[in-house]
Amino acid sequence: MMFWVLAAVLTALVTIALLLPLARGKRAGSDAEYDVEVYSDQLAEVERDRAGGLIGTDEAAHARAEIGRRLLRAKKAQSAATDRRGGGRLTTAARLCVLVGVPLLGMSVYLATGAPGLPDQPLASRATTPEEASPIATMIAQAEQHLEENPDDGRGWDVLAPIYLRAGQLQEARTAYLNAIRLLGPTSARQSGYGEALVALASGVVTEEAAVAFQSARELQPDEPKAAFYLALALEQEGRDDRALEAFRRLAEQSPPDAPWMTVVNEKIAALGGQVADISPSGLPPLSLLPGAEADANADSGDVASVQPPLQPGPSQDDLAAARDMSDEERQAMIETMVGNLDRRLRENPQDIEGWIRLVRSYGVLGQPQQAEEALARGLAVFPEESEDGRALLAVARQVGVDRLEEEGAQ
Amino acid sequence: MIVELGHYALIIAFATALVQSVLPVVGARRGDQSLMAIGDTSAIVSFLLVLLSFCALTYAYVVSDFSVQNVYENSHSLKPMIYKISGVWGNHEGSMLLWILILVFFSALVAFFGRNLPKSLRANVLAVQGWITTAFLLFVLQTSNPFARIVPTPMEGRDLNPILQDIGLAIHPPLLYLGYVGFSICFSFAVAALIEGRIDAAWARWVRPWTLTAWIFLTGGIAMGSYWAYYELGWGGWWFWDPVENASFMPWLAGTALLHSALVMEKREALKIWTILLAIITFSLSLLGTFLVRSGVLTSVHTFASDPSRGVFILAILVVFIGGAFGLFALRATSLKSGGLFQPISREGGLVLNNLFLTTATATVLIGTLYPLLLETVTGEKISVGPPFFNLTFGPLMIPLLLAVPFGPLLAWKRGDLLGAAQRLYVAAGLALLAGLIVVYFTTGAPVLAALALAIGFFVMFGAVTDLALRAGVGKVSAGIAMRRLAGLPRSAFGGAMAHFGLGVMVIGIVAVTAFETEAVAEMAPGETIDAGGYTLRFDSMDPNQGPNYVEDVGHFTVLRNGAEISRMDSAKRVYTARQMPTTEAGILTRGFSQLYVSLGDFVTPEGAEAPTAIVVRVWWKPQVTLIWIGSVIMAFGGLISLSDRRLRVGAPKPHRQRKAGGPVMEPAE
Repeated sequence: MMFWVLAAVLTALVTIALLLPLARGKRAGSDAEYDVEVYSDQLAEVERDRAGGLIGTDEAAHARAEIGRRLLRAKKAQSAATDRRGGGRLTTAARLCVLVGVPLLGMSVYLATGAPGLPDQPLASRATTPEEASPIATMIAQAEQHLEENPDDGRGWDVLAPIYLRAGQLQEARTAYLNAIRLLGPTSARQSGYGEALVALASGVVTEEAAVAFQSARELQPDEPKAAFYLALALEQEGRDDRALEAFRRLAEQSPPDAPWMTVVNEKIAALGGQVADISPSGLPPLSLLPGAEADANADSGDVASVQPPLQPGPSQDDLAAARDMSDEERQAMIETMVGNLDRRLRENPQDIEGWIRLVRSYGVLGQPQQAEEALARGLAVFPEESEDGRALLAVARQVGVDRLEEEGAQ
Repeated sequence: MIVELGHYALIIAFATALVQSVLPVVGARRGDQSLMAIGDTSAIVSFLLVLLSFCALTYAYVVSDFSVQNVYENSHSLKPMIYKISGVWGNHEGSMLLWILILVFFSALVAFFGRNLPKSLRANVLAVQGWITTAFLLFVLQTSNPFARIVPTPMEGRDLNPILQDIGLAIHPPLLYLGYVGFSICFSFAVAALIEGRIDAAWARWVRPWTLTAWIFLTGGIAMGSYWAYYELGWGGWWFWDPVENASFMPWLAGTALLHSALVMEKREALKIWTILLAIITFSLSLLGTFLVRSGVLTSVHTFASDPSRGVFILAILVVFIGGAFGLFALRATSLKSGGLFQPISREGGLVLNNLFLTTATATVLIGTLYPLLLETVTGEKISVGPPFFNLTFGPLMIPLLLAVPFGPLLAWKRGDLLGAAQRLYVAAGLALLAGLIVVYFTTGAPVLAALALAIGFFVMFGAVTDLALRAGVGKVSAGIAMRRLAGLPRSAFGGAMAHFGLGVMVIGIVAVTAFETEAVAEMAPGETIDAGGYTLRFDSMDPNQGPNYVEDVGHFTVLRNGAEISRMDSAKRVYTARQMPTTEAGILTRGFSQLYVSLGDFVTPEGAEAPTAIVVRVWWKPQVTLIWIGSVIMAFGGLISLSDRRLRVGAPKPHRQRKAGGPVMEPAE
C-alpha cells in the first residue's frame, strides 16, 4: 500500500514539475541577442589581453576589427528578429500530453514489468526474522559466529561440516571436514563426509583424493554404507561395470531394505544390468544419501552458487515415501508426471542449470534417450557448451549415456 | 519497496525523457518559449529520477537483497562493502544504468548552466539529449532490466567476477563512461546546430569546455583501465590492442582531434563544419564502443552480456543515431557558413595537420578492430588482428605527429612562420637528442632506434617547456619580468603545455619499457633465487591464506640488490570460492619510475612426489613503466587546468604587414 502511495506522489511531483514551464509564458531574448553578448565579451577580452601585454597593439587592433565586423552582423540580425509567442492550442496540447501521457505510460509499463507489492528482502532482515529465515541458514550463521571466535573447536567444525554439505556450500564443507579431522582425528563419518564434499565439488566424479578418503573411512568402519556406495560408484565411473555391480549388490545385501539409499542403489544395479524391483526418479545419488537430502536434490550439480533454499524444489520426502508404497505402474506414472513438470517449468524459465541437469539425468535414468538428448540440446542452447555450466551439463549427460554428438547426428 | 520504487522511477524517467525529446523541438520550431523551457525542467527531472533509481539499486546491493536478480547474479553477502557498491556497475544491467545516469547528469548540467545559451539552441540540444536518453532507457527497460526480481529469494548470491573485484573496477568504468557520455553533449550541440541550420557564436564557446571535460575523464579512464589490466591480469602488459581497449581508444583519438579543432573554432571561427563532423564522429565511436562491449560481439573480460537481443537493440540505436546524424550532416552542412580563413602554415594549419593524423589513426584502429568481425560475419573465418598490425600502422602515424607537436603552439594564428618556429626549437631538439643518447649510453646493448624514439619523447617534453619559456620571454627580458609574465600567462596556456609535456613523458615510458624490458621464467623451490633487471629475487616460502571471499596461496619473495636485502614482495594465486575461479595477484615493487613485476604460474609436482615442490615464477623488470600512467595523469591534469580557465578565449590574428624589426615578439594569447 505504502508503495502505491509513494508511487502516486512521485508521479504527481513529476507531472507538476513538467507542467510548470507550460504555465508561465516568459519572454526571452532572441538568438541574435546572445551573439551580440558573446562578441561584446570577446572585445573586452581582447582589451584585457592587450593591457596585460599578452598581445601587441597591432594584433589587438586586428582582432578588434575582426570581432567588430561579426558584432555588426549580429546586431543587424537582432533588429530584424521578431519575437514570436506560442499559440494557445499548442500549449494546451502539450499540457494534455504531459498530464495524461506521463502517468499513463509510467503505470502501464510498470504494471507490465514490475513486481508491485513485493517487499525488499535484505539479507540481514531475513536472517533475524525466524519465520522467514531458513533453519539451516540460522544454524550456519550461529555456528560460523561461534567458530570465528573459537577456530580450534573441532566439535564445532564437526557439526557444521555436514550442514554445509547439505546447504551446498561445498568449499566450506570441505574446509570444515578437514578442520574436524585435523582437530579431532579421523572417523569414518568424517572421512566419508569429506569424500562426499570432494565428489560434489568435482560435479559428481569420484576423484582419486575422494576415493582415498572413502577407503580410509572403510578401514575405520568396514560397513560404512556411504563409503561403500561411492567406492562402487568410482568403479562404475572407471568403466569396470561388473565389479561396480558386484559392489552395489553387496551394499544392497548389507543394508536394511527400507534404508533411504536403497532406491538409488537399486537404480544403479538396474542401470548396470542387474535385477532390481525399485526405481527412483533421481538419477544422481550422491547427496541424496544424506538425511534430509530431498531438498538438496539439485545442489549436487557442481554449480555451487545455488544454495539453500533451492529455487526449484526436487521431489519431497513424502513423494519418495509415496513412491515406495505404489505399484510399479503407479510409480512410473508419478515419476513421469514429476519429470514432465520439471520439463514444463524449464520451458518457461530456461535459466536454471540445476533443472537442466536434473532433467537430462531423469530422462536418461528413465530410459528415454530421445527426450534426454532433446533436453540436453535445449539446455545447451541456454548454457553454451563453452560455459562452465554447459560443461557440467554435458558431463552429466555422458554419465547417463547421452552425448551431444549423437543428438546432432539424429537431427 | 525501495527496489520497486527504483524500478518505477526508471519508468517515469522514460516517460519524462519522451517529453524532453518532443516538446522542446516543437517549441524551437514554433518559437514557443514555454515549450522550449520544458527542455530544462524535464532534463533536471529525469536526472533526479534516474538518480533515485540508481540509489535504489545500490541499496539493494548494499543490503544484499538477493530477491533482485541482478544482485543475486553479481553479489555475495561476504563481499567487502566497496565491491558490493562497485558491483552495481560491474555487470551489464548496472553499467547501462550508470551510463544513463551520467547521460542525464550531463543533460541536467546543460539545463542548469546553459542560461547564457540562445533559447532555441538549448531546447534543441536538450531534445537531442532526450532522444539518446529515451533510446537507452528503452533498451534497459526492454532487454536489461536491473530490477527484475526472483521468487523465492535465494539465500546467497553468485558473487562478482573475481577479476572485477578490484579498486580499479570501482573507478575505471565510471571514468570511462563520463568520457564516452560527455561527448554526447558535443554530439547534441552538433546535431542541434544542424537542425537550426546555423552555428551561433555561443556554440564554440560551449563545445570546447564540454569536449575538454569528456576528454579529461576518458584519458583518466583509459589510463586507469590500462593500469588495472597491467596488475590484475598477471601478464604484465599495459596495452593489448584488445578490441575493448580499442573501443575506448577510438573515441579518445577522435576526441583529441575534436578538442584541437574546437580550439580553432572557438578562437578563430574557422573549421566550423569539420568540428561538427568530428563531434558526430566522436560520439558515434563512443556508441560503437558501447555496442562492441555490451552486445557480446567481442568475447573478453569486459563482456557481461551474451544475449543477442541486446546486441540487435544497441545496433538499432547505433544505426538510428549515427546514420541520422550523418544524414542530417549531409543535408545541412552546405547551408552552414564556414568561418575564418587561414594560410596553410599557421596555428590553424598545424591543428588541421594534427586532425588529419589523429583521424587517420582513428580509422586505422577502427579497421583493425572491425575487420576481424566483418570477416567472420561474411566468410566465417576467424582471424585476430593483434599488436603487429597496430605497431606497423599506428606507430608510424604517431612519429610525424609527435615531431609536429612542439611546432604547433609556436606558430601564429592565421599566418605562421615555420622557419622561425624551428629556430626557436633548436635548443629543445638538441637537448632531446642528447638526453636520448645519454639514456642509451647507460643502457648497454640498446638499439639505436630506441635512442631516436626516446629523443622524440624528450623533444615533445622540452618543446612544451620552450613554448612556455618563449611566451614568458625568457632570455629576452630580465628574469624578474619573465617570471611575472609567466605567472600572468592564461591558465589554458599552462594546460596545453602541460598536456603536451605529459604526452612526451608517456612516450618515454612506452619506449623505455618496450626496448629495455627483461623477463625471466623459472621453476623455483623455496630458497632459490632468480635475477631480473639487476635485482635478485629469493623465493622464501609459500603460505595458504584465507580472504573474505577467496582462498589464496601467497608466495613470499625477498628482493636483493648486490647481496643486500632491499625489500620484500608477495605474489598470490587466488581462488574465489563462490565461482571457483582462479586469479593471479601480481607482486609489484616500484623502484623510481621502474617496476619489478612477479607473477606465479602453476605448481610443479615431480613424478612420484605427493605435494608440489616448486612453482613456476615469472619475473619482469619494467624500466620506467610508471611513466606511461604518470604521463597520462599529467595530460589529464593539463586538461583540468585548461578547463579551469573560464575566460573567453580569442585568438588574435597576426597582422599581414611586416613586424617591426627589433621589437619583442609577442606571442598570441592562448
